[in-house]
Amino acid sequence: MIAGSRSRGAPFLYGLAVAAVAVEAAFAAWWARRRYMRFEITGSSMLPALEPGDFVIVDTHAYRGVLPHRGDIVLAADPRKPDRTLVKRVGSVDLHQGISLLGDNAEESTDSRRFGPVSPEAIIGRVRWRYWPLRSVLRVR
Amino acid sequence: MNFLSRIIRPAHVAHAHCDGPCGVYDPASARIAAEAVLSMTKKAIALQGNDAAMWNSFTRFTTIKEQQADVVKKELDILWHDYFKAEHLAKYPDLHDTFWKATKLASKCKQELNVDACNDLVKAIEGVHTIFWATKGRDVPFYLANPA
Repeated sequence: MIAGSRSRGAPFLYGLAVAAVAVEAAFAAWWARRRYMRFEITGSSMLPALEPGDFVIVDTHAYRGVLPHRGDIVLAADPRKPDRTLVKRVGSVDLHQGISLLGDNAEESTDSRRFGPVSPEAIIGRVRWRYWPLRSVLRVR
Repeated sequence: MNFLSRIIRPAHVAHAHCDGPCGVYDPASARIAAEAVLSMTKKAIALQGNDAAMWNSFTRFTTIKEQQADVVKKELDILWHDYFKAEHLAKYPDLHDTFWKATKLASKCKQELNVDACNDLVKAIEGVHTIFWATKGRDVPFYLANPA
């Protein structure tokens, strides 16, 4: 019996290690999927930084415990239509008055100039990378 | 390329949004709402009897009237602060007064059951229409969907 359990010991530990790595990988994938969301851009208010049809990756944990910075490109719930997600650039951050969002293409943008500042809770995440189209894959600034 | 972009297409959309099709303005949307206010006012006044059906209609007409009066104000506001620019004001010095009076009339029509005020509102929107199309150098005739 003792001899038998010894002979099974090594494969068992090996199997355990493989399972642990698999669980870890699954957890990492699950965590990354929760943290990073992919979005397609529509509309022209963020030209030239973002073009309609671009696919981007958004970090939904970017503002955990930190306020957005002026200049960040962020996603926010539209205060006038909360099921619509807006993409705009942070114009200013004021603890009391909220966060003002502006389109880079001011002529063709409905933003805080119209609907006023938004609350920090309205911010969904920060646009970090563009992954499509391939010719303009880059970190979004 | 297209096959690839289909596979990697995100499930969510972020709107680099601009209201409406940008740069598209027309006082017609205010006019249509004002006509609805006029029509609901007339219909509410014309109701007869004192039964549940009458009160149901009265309530519906009043509700729609108030909603459409708000639409008038909103549509006028969009023209006023989004379309019109300082150079227009220089050319049409009574621009602010025109909008001020038109939106005031919309409030009056919302509060009261007042056919005269509604007709004045439609007239005021005609005034906006005239200035608006003049700034574009176009001769667009004013018309009503529901002529009296």
